[in-house]
Amino acid sequence: MFSQFFGGYLLNHNIVSREQLSRALDEKKNTRMRLGVLAINEGLMTSEQVEHVNVMQQTVDLRFGDLAVQLGYLKEQDVDDLLHKQPTDYLLLGQALVNMGALSNEGFERAINDYKATLKLDDDDISGDQYDALSSMVSEFYHFSTARNARLYTNYVTLLFKSLIRFIGDDFTPLDASICRTAEGACIVRQLINGAYKGQTIISAEPDEYRCFARRFAKEAYFESDEFDDASVSEFLNVINGLYAVNESNETGTEIGLEPLALFRNEDVPLGEEAFSIPVQFTFGEVEFIVAF
Amino acid sequence: MNIEDIKVMVCDDSMFARKSMVMFITSLGVKQIIEAADGQQAIDKYAENKPDVVFMDIVMPVVTGIDALIKIKETDPAARVIMASSIGTQQYLKSAIKAGAADFLQKPITNDQVKQILENVCKGVI
Repeated sequence: MFSQFFGGYLLNHNIVSREQLSRALDEKKNTRMRLGVLAINEGLMTSEQVEHVNVMQQTVDLRFGDLAVQLGYLKEQDVDDLLHKQPTDYLLLGQALVNMGALSNEGFERAINDYKATLKLDDDDISGDQYDALSSMVSEFYHFSTARNARLYTNYVTLLFKSLIRFIGDDFTPLDASICRTAEGACIVRQLINGAYKGQTIISAEPDEYRCFARRFAKEAYFESDEFDDASVSEFLNVINGLYAVNESNETGTEIGLEPLALFRNEDVPLGEEAFSIPVQFTFGEVEFIVAF
Repeated sequence: MNIEDIKVMVCDDSMFARKSMVMFITSLGVKQIIEAADGQQAIDKYAENKPDVVFMDIVMPVVTGIDALIKIKETDPAARVIMASSIGTQQYLKSAIKAGAADFLQKPITNDQVKQILENVCKGVI
């Protein structure tokens, strides 16, 4: 999930464009990791040193690792370690952006270091799937710590992103959140939360994106109809709300319930309270998630 | 009993959940499948068809899954009803067990879980 939020960081800081990021997300599956980007990420080489090796490679018939050792930038053991390192998802994204020319080695070095520093994360935090690291990343990205019910928002949105990766795909970028009082979109699904506290959760999208989202969730069970699209998107929302309710019940003993899902087509839905609008850019388009506690 | 001979009822207000489960159950060779879209339909169709096993959602309009389970158990105490719900909190689990559910599956339900239940029905374990 670090990869998705790193993508969001690059976009929000205007380091890459939406089109470049979308292309890189598409291409990262076929991207081969290069030693230079790995070495920068590990802090073993600076971007200048990587550039130097790259330039030297044009005149000398040596592999990157061998040349870096010859120039005194790396030890042989470092090269060995780097070659055996499994590239993480965010590194593949970074490599894809470097390959496309959207990001220089230096730009990648600056962005990755700034982002890690912002989140106060180390490599162990971002290489695994530790819940605490993920939730602090989510909370930091959306500034939930300043919100009322910060714990609820952080837990819900962390679960939402984990569920997107699990059920829809990892080719998305979280965009900046905003506060809204109305849900607007051609296709809207809403589920209210009741019980120990109240809340509302919404998925909103334009018809094409809504259909793509429905198709991704349904997988081979998909068949094309508006009714099935509604059913599929509704079920996604219902499943993650159910998982959220179970987590709440198990972790804090709080019992919450879910109301039947409601569908809206081509109408604005007043929320009756301030809510977080969380747009997410998939490679097929944008889908908005709205959450209020 | 063989899997081809059992009669299964799938009750869920989500067409997606019904279709996904029906598709999988059909692939296992089950020939008699009844669908219900809310708790009241489940009560009516149970009485009419007497299925060997029911997969029942909880949060549904008209009549909830728990209320439908209670009604079905009143008319047929031997009914095998598996609650298949997105919300498996302690409270819901307790209500389902108290009402006589044979098992509880938390969504997303895997094909292996459904297959296991049907095999147990065939063996008479549930």
